[in-house]
Amino acid sequence: MSDSSDEEISQQKWVLYKDRPDWKDVEPIPQDDGEEPVVTIAYSKEFTDVYDYFRGILKTQEKSERALQLTKDAANLNPANYTVWQYRRDIIKALKKDLREELEYIRQTIRKHSKNYQVWHHRKVLVEWLNDGSEELEFTKSILETDDKNYHAWQHRQWAMKTFNLYEGELEYVDSLLQTDIRNNSAWNQRYFVVNNTTGFNDAVLSREIDYTLSKINIVKENESAWNYLRGLLLHDKEGLSKNQKVVKFCEDLYNSGNRSAFLLALLVDMCDEEISQGSGDVLLVRQKGIALCKELASNYDTIRCKYWEYMASTLEKKGTETDDTCTSSTGN
Amino acid sequence: MPVNLILKPKLHKKYLYRCLQCIPSHFASYDTTRLVLAFFAISGLDLLKDLDSLKKQQKIIDWIYSLQVVDNKELVSGFQGSTTLNTIENRNRSAPYKWCHIAGTYTALCTLLILGDDLNRVNKEAIASSLKVLQLPNGVFCASKDGSESDMRFIYCAACISYIIDDWSGVDIEKATDYILKSLTYEFGFAQAPQLEAHGGSTYCAIASLALMGKLSALSEIQRKNIIRWLLNRQKDGFQGRPNKPVDTCYSFWVGAALKILDVFDFVDFDQNKTYVLSTQDNLYGGLSKWVDTTSDPLHTYMGLSGLSLMKYDELEEVNPLLNISQRAYAHLKSLHMKWRLRL
Repeated sequence: MSDSSDEEISQQKWVLYKDRPDWKDVEPIPQDDGEEPVVTIAYSKEFTDVYDYFRGILKTQEKSERALQLTKDAANLNPANYTVWQYRRDIIKALKKDLREELEYIRQTIRKHSKNYQVWHHRKVLVEWLNDGSEELEFTKSILETDDKNYHAWQHRQWAMKTFNLYEGELEYVDSLLQTDIRNNSAWNQRYFVVNNTTGFNDAVLSREIDYTLSKINIVKENESAWNYLRGLLLHDKEGLSKNQKVVKFCEDLYNSGNRSAFLLALLVDMCDEEISQGSGDVLLVRQKGIALCKELASNYDTIRCKYWEYMASTLEKKGTETDDTCTSSTGN
Repeated sequence: MPVNLILKPKLHKKYLYRCLQCIPSHFASYDTTRLVLAFFAISGLDLLKDLDSLKKQQKIIDWIYSLQVVDNKELVSGFQGSTTLNTIENRNRSAPYKWCHIAGTYTALCTLLILGDDLNRVNKEAIASSLKVLQLPNGVFCASKDGSESDMRFIYCAACISYIIDDWSGVDIEKATDYILKSLTYEFGFAQAPQLEAHGGSTYCAIASLALMGKLSALSEIQRKNIIRWLLNRQKDGFQGRPNKPVDTCYSFWVGAALKILDVFDFVDFDQNKTYVLSTQDNLYGGLSKWVDTTSDPLHTYMGLSGLSLMKYDELEEVNPLLNISQRAYAHLKSLHMKWRLRL
């Protein structure tokens, strides 16, 4: 929401459409806001003028060069007006305009309004029409340089990658982003996206990715993004969360070295939880360990979620008992 | 509690009344979504228990109805987000590009309910049949007939609309559910679309949509447990929308309401959540903002209030976490449903 567009207009000694001789033949149509409008916007006179003429050409369905220019002015005043963009596309199609030129225009517009849905959608349609995604990686990269978590840019990038099969070099790109900011959750998600859509998480890839992630956790322990990625990787381990020896050893060593990151403790709790469910190991001991971890989290290391960890402790307590019951009854048989 | 951290209902009422009347020209980018702003202001006043002093309610209702489009030929029925394309000539008539917007329809219906309207003038059948056109083969919804992106936000709008008009014929629930489940990420939050990054806003939309469609049971126990963990981890003092991002007032609602729907809201640290939201109040002009010491805006003012209301605040009406309207307005909807069903 910036008023830069208004500024631009006033700086250029703006001539209102109603004062332009070449627009004399078009009837401007005022907006009908009813007798008692609400949330009235104090439109600038330029805004009212441009949109009166926009309503005018919409009525006559004029698709011309000057109408195309008008949509540019209308979009400049309000880039979130989806009808303006839709009508602009309809004109572009009717006049068979050079789509490359339009791509350049929308590149500049997105740079100014990089969190606006309509401008990204416009670009997507153009790329679809051109059936050429070759500029999209470079373009989204340039947007991510100013905001490396911009959701629109990532969405567009993933769409282009899927549509035009552009996965090459992406892991290296993600790695460079993580070197700049190891906590960039969007980059971690992109890493998952790339692996998932290329090699998949086979044993070799899984092992490589686990090494990668553990090395990143070693750099910054208190990084939820890396821990979440690690958990995501373990979803592909058929044995579950608690059986990957490399991860288990890493976590135990980290704990024994005195680290008490809430993310570490939470993973250890979940490993205990899983072991109890599977009835593997010494259930009684695992249960005690899990409960103790929950209590540590509740009272010292994740106090903002203390009620949750107390609840987790109580479910582990019950869960252990249920397993005991099962053991007893099966012994009884 | 420091004086700055006490809710200032009077100031916020003033702020919302100002929004409802006239907003400055630099809000021009809100021009196509004025109805959404009206919803924030009116629902905000409702949460602040101040609806009685809102004058000319019938006129507001009429203005909202002036945004209704009924067009069974083009299948663009519903509510526009604003009067931008309305002219005297096309008043109450269909015209090129005069299409409903799915968020317009959702906020129109909610605002009408808040104002006590009986929705008798809403063409429910036309809305349901137009809604059908907006669902894509993979289950997701677009916002309008043409030229719109599609994502989780619009599934949520479609679910709210269908729930309110008590007619689900416009939604293929199985397909929508499938899309939602495919958008659950390895982090166990939901993204706007499959494979994108988990996000507090889209997770709210996903969870609320599943609940409205009666499909929360499509989540496995393990999924549910991990989703709860991901949501709870968003609390730092207030809530953030994604890991390693700054907290922001609006997530006190998005994440808080998702937790409420999953029946685990009590795990939240209320004190810290309140303290953060209240620290984003403008103590001079009213309103709330996303961060401390930034300018208030209607969205964050409303989400801040509804986020506080989830914690059952004395000065505030309780909010319904599914539709994001007061429980009072929700009760009115339930009484309408009862009437409609009896008439059948």
